[in-house]
Amino acid sequence: MAKMIDRQLLKLFIMLDERLTAKTLFYTQYQIYLLDTWGAIKQAQLQFLEAEHDKAVCHQAYRMNVHCDNLDQEIGERQKAIEEKFKWKLKALKQTLRRKNDRNPDQSNEHQTWFKAQEAQLLALKRKRLDRVVPTFHHKNDASDVSQETLRAIEAKEAAILTAKKEKIEARYQRKIESLNLRTEKKRERLTRLNQKIKGWIETIYQRHPKNDYDLGDDIILRLENLTMRFGGLVAVDQLSFEVKQGEIFGLIGPNGAGKTTVFNCITKFYRPAGGKMIFRKSPVDVIVLNDYPVHRIVRQGIIRTFQNVELVWELSVIDNLLVAAHSRFHTGFFGQLLHIPKLRHEEAVLRQKAMHILEHLGLQAYMHAIPYGLPYGILKRIELARTLMVDPKLIILDEPAAGLNDQETRELARIIRDIRDRHDVTIFLVEHDMGLVMDICDRVCAISFGKKIAIGTPKEIQANKAVRDAYLGEE
Amino acid sequence: MDRVMRGINRFLREFKAIVKHPYFGYVFFGMMFLILLLLRNQGMVTISVINTAVIVMIYTVISLGFSLLLGFGGLASLGTAGFVGFGSFLMGYLHGVKDYSLGVTLLLSLCVALAIGLIVGFISLRIEGMYLAIITLGLGEILRQFFISYDIFTGGFSGRSFREFTIFGINFVSGDGRYFNMVYIIVVIMFVLAMIATINIIKSPTGRALLAMKNSDSAAQSMGISLIKYRLLAFILSTVFALLGGMLYIMHTKYSYAPQWNLSFSLEILAAVIVGGAQSIFGIAIGVFLIFGLKISVLNYIPFFQENPALIVIFNGALIILVVMFYPGGLIRLLQTLKYIVVKRFGQLKQKWRRYRYGEDD
Repeated sequence: MAKMIDRQLLKLFIMLDERLTAKTLFYTQYQIYLLDTWGAIKQAQLQFLEAEHDKAVCHQAYRMNVHCDNLDQEIGERQKAIEEKFKWKLKALKQTLRRKNDRNPDQSNEHQTWFKAQEAQLLALKRKRLDRVVPTFHHKNDASDVSQETLRAIEAKEAAILTAKKEKIEARYQRKIESLNLRTEKKRERLTRLNQKIKGWIETIYQRHPKNDYDLGDDIILRLENLTMRFGGLVAVDQLSFEVKQGEIFGLIGPNGAGKTTVFNCITKFYRPAGGKMIFRKSPVDVIVLNDYPVHRIVRQGIIRTFQNVELVWELSVIDNLLVAAHSRFHTGFFGQLLHIPKLRHEEAVLRQKAMHILEHLGLQAYMHAIPYGLPYGILKRIELARTLMVDPKLIILDEPAAGLNDQETRELARIIRDIRDRHDVTIFLVEHDMGLVMDICDRVCAISFGKKIAIGTPKEIQANKAVRDAYLGEE
Repeated sequence: MDRVMRGINRFLREFKAIVKHPYFGYVFFGMMFLILLLLRNQGMVTISVINTAVIVMIYTVISLGFSLLLGFGGLASLGTAGFVGFGSFLMGYLHGVKDYSLGVTLLLSLCVALAIGLIVGFISLRIEGMYLAIITLGLGEILRQFFISYDIFTGGFSGRSFREFTIFGINFVSGDGRYFNMVYIIVVIMFVLAMIATINIIKSPTGRALLAMKNSDSAAQSMGISLIKYRLLAFILSTVFALLGGMLYIMHTKYSYAPQWNLSFSLEILAAVIVGGAQSIFGIAIGVFLIFGLKISVLNYIPFFQENPALIVIFNGALIILVVMFYPGGLIRLLQTLKYIVVKRFGQLKQKWRRYRYGEDD
């Protein structure tokens, strides 16, 4: 009885612990996000100030026939706009002449004189407008003074204004950042204190009932022990055991109906295995048994999978699809969502930025706001891969990633899978029929047939194995 | 001068941001309805228009809940009528007869909605699609039979009428014009709040989770979305909206008639959601107007339909068939197409004008 209570308490504490860790992580991420955005805004403001300052100095310089590049450019733009406007006006005038001529062809001489007069008027107006452009750029403060001293005085004055404004902005952001850091630090400290308390409780429970780490070696992330799965009388997976090492790309191959997808479904708990144990290293110190977790909590342990046929949400844009995958990262409650409280907006901003980064890494930024419906199959597969990265997984399970792709897309996919493994420090476990891909990217391969393991080893060993060849091609 | 221009620019930019915000459209919509009431009090609009407006608003609230279930959760339900009727009788009984205050009534109704939603939600975990629709249909019919036979509570076959409800401590004598205005304003407020709540849910993780669940159960589960939680949530939300609609209905009409809450009403709500567009809030309002409002406000005044009232039903049926055939995404798609056509036509006209004004390019 006491043991049962302890076990329930342990579950509760571990859940709280996870929650607190996630919260702490969120505050850190939000701090980084805010610092980034504020930095960008500050940079833009400073740039704007510099430009204003340049212009102010240039105004005077321009009056003294000293040309400034940026002012020249602006004057050029304005003049071009005026030219363009009058070009169209002239065109309209010509068209009017043409129409008048069509209506009364016998008065064409009068029309010609009328046209000449109008054209002269227009050209005069244009010249006037063009001449007026440059004086508008003269410095507001100056009279008709064009001496060097005035220029220098104005330069000094503007420089002083610029420094003062810059300092003001710097000080404001400094204040903001300090207050943010203080707030975050306070929150983090509070959470950490709570977390430590809970960790202490967990420790006391572990002292009473020692933690079992199932002899899982340090370099091993997943171990299946005698996994068995039955559908009625059919034994789909029969006493299967193997180990997946940390940071490797592990392939599972076998003929059709060998039970590969069933193994995946057992690991992600879509099926309840009939026997055997699945042991998973959640973190360097934490070892869990996957049999104890329901299917929707598996992703929180750091395992995420893709599907054989792409399973995206077709009504949502690509980036929103990535946010669906980050569902377990949102901690706002239902009423918070109903009222759209600031916390939800912050979480969403952080995760949206993360999704953008991931899409950029995978070369999908062009499709960010597109609806996935109708995109090429290779792109959809890549979106699925991007989706797995949203939850910072430890183990990614890919169910036939190359199904339906052409050769070039497959090669691209292999590169991306390797890239993901190296960049995000994850283990990849995949089922695949495309032997080229498997032999190309996998570090180790396990071959199964009718639910039984027939061989395990490096791709070369598997290629040379006689049992595997028999399973695929039939015995001689 | 520069400063002034900059200020104006900034104001315009912010104004644009405000107009683009989704809430603006809903509040604007609500304001239009309030202006309608003002016009009515000035005698510039007939009572039938106001009645149509109230009915459209109340049924839109119900349909919004239904669209969360059908358009987002992908779960079919035909028990809406029963829940709406339950809401109306509950309000009438608790507030009108037992004299509980409005807050307590709302709280109790919420509890009831929670209970009903939980029951249906748990059923939905094991049953899906067509069979779920049949089960909820059965539940609705049970509720209707219950209303008919339990006549102390509901008045049975003859229905039950209530006197004016006390709102915010104000007692109204019967036939008071202020009561109507008060209820109208409350309905408008609830209508706007319901739309805002719906858009908030849609644009949050919950809405995305519901959509993911509709597309594929297994993919949703693999991303950490608990089916139990979100199915229950969808049913509870839809029930809450339905009960709220029933309460607003009884406040407006002061009369509820048990056989009125039958399958036909549920199907009309379903039709409104399908015709308007199951995933668009304005689309649902349009759908509700076409299915319920058109009859009260327009068709009843056309002599041809006055002579043959049965043809109104046929008209509605034909409308549904046409919409489903040509615009499966709802009439909101038609509006989008129209907008596209207008923009295109405008561009063509502009081109034509340019050619006339400036001549051919040379």
